[in-house]
Amino acid sequence: MKLTKDQLKKLGLSTVGFVFLLYVYFTFFLGPLNRSRDVALAKINDRQRKLDNSKEEMAKAAKLEQNAKAATTRFGALRAVNAEGAPIAWFPPRMKAFFANEQIDKAVARLEGNTALKPEELSGWLRYNWIIDLPQADYGTLGRAIADLENSEPLLCVTRMSIHASPDAPQFQHVELAAANLIEKK
Amino acid sequence: MALHLNLLHEQILEQRQRQRDPLKIGMLVLIGCGTVMFLYYSWNAYRTLEIKSRLNAIERNWAKIDPKVTTAQKRVSELQGIVKTTRTLDDYIDGRFFWAPFLQKVARCVAPNAQLTSFEGSVFEEKKGVSVTLEGIAAGREPRAAAEDLRQLLLEQLGQSYSEVKVEFKSLEDLDTMATLGGTHMPTARYTLAINFNPAPAQKPTPATTPTRQKKRSDT
Repeated sequence: MKLTKDQLKKLGLSTVGFVFLLYVYFTFFLGPLNRSRDVALAKINDRQRKLDNSKEEMAKAAKLEQNAKAATTRFGALRAVNAEGAPIAWFPPRMKAFFANEQIDKAVARLEGNTALKPEELSGWLRYNWIIDLPQADYGTLGRAIADLENSEPLLCVTRMSIHASPDAPQFQHVELAAANLIEKK
Repeated sequence: MALHLNLLHEQILEQRQRQRDPLKIGMLVLIGCGTVMFLYYSWNAYRTLEIKSRLNAIERNWAKIDPKVTTAQKRVSELQGIVKTTRTLDDYIDGRFFWAPFLQKVARCVAPNAQLTSFEGSVFEEKKGVSVTLEGIAAGREPRAAAEDLRQLLLEQLGQSYSEVKVEFKSLEDLDTMATLGGTHMPTARYTLAINFNPAPAQKPTPATTPTRQKKRSDT
């Protein structure tokens, strides 16, 4: 079959039109559709991963809640050791009452200052330094009182102790304690 | 043999030519391709819509869970903080130096003829050490020996509970004053003792395992 010139021209134009049609089809129809599908699939994968992780996170939280029960209770107990309000308001009366209960009168506690603590975990706590003056104590009573103090105040640490014989009252010793107490920032 | 004559050959040729018209064939091919392409597009569109509906379902699910997950994550970090803080506080509590047992040991070591007049003690947190200075007056026929007895006793008693114990005289001098002990006048001496130790208990040395020598087998 021999094609005429006119037919060849038509065939050429048709081929060009067909190629253009293919281009339009893939670029403006199928391409965006595929891209949109790929984006949706990527989002599904991402969400699915997050959902799986979330299940793990929630299980982890539930497990940690159980495991940390002891730590939470202990933490609550340690926080409850210190009273509410400014430490200068409650610590000196508490010490006075404590030593009075231990048969040591005239106890006076003075605040020396407070400092931040180095460990990152204790960034919410402050170290308060106190001087506790006991002008009328005797060695045996003092020893018992300090044992009770160290046992009843877990966050208090005696850093310096000075005991001197009283020249005026030989039955007493003058005691000065430097103590550091950890108190949560309010 | 019968003779067949095709009298319509011109008409048949025309019909064949019409059938082979490239425009017509092209149109048919184009329609076929268009149909295939349309079906393929429809199939893809259907899959895309299905995927989008799945995505919507997951998004709805996520929107329900997301606040719970955020709360759980916050709780986890809060609990981890509490656990760490409690552990650090416990370390602090356990790392304290307890003065009461020390005072008890000193009280047990001081004999009636070696009275204490001053006690100064400090805890060094950085070096993990304790330093104590004791001042007192010893009385006896040999007051220096009484003071030395006190030093020895302190060294022995403190060594049982603490490590790196050092008890040294900073000063020891005779006094002119006499003290009455049990009705007799005794010479006196003033002493100053410096005590340094690590509050951690002394580690007991583990018994060294002696390698057992295997006996050589002798043929004789």
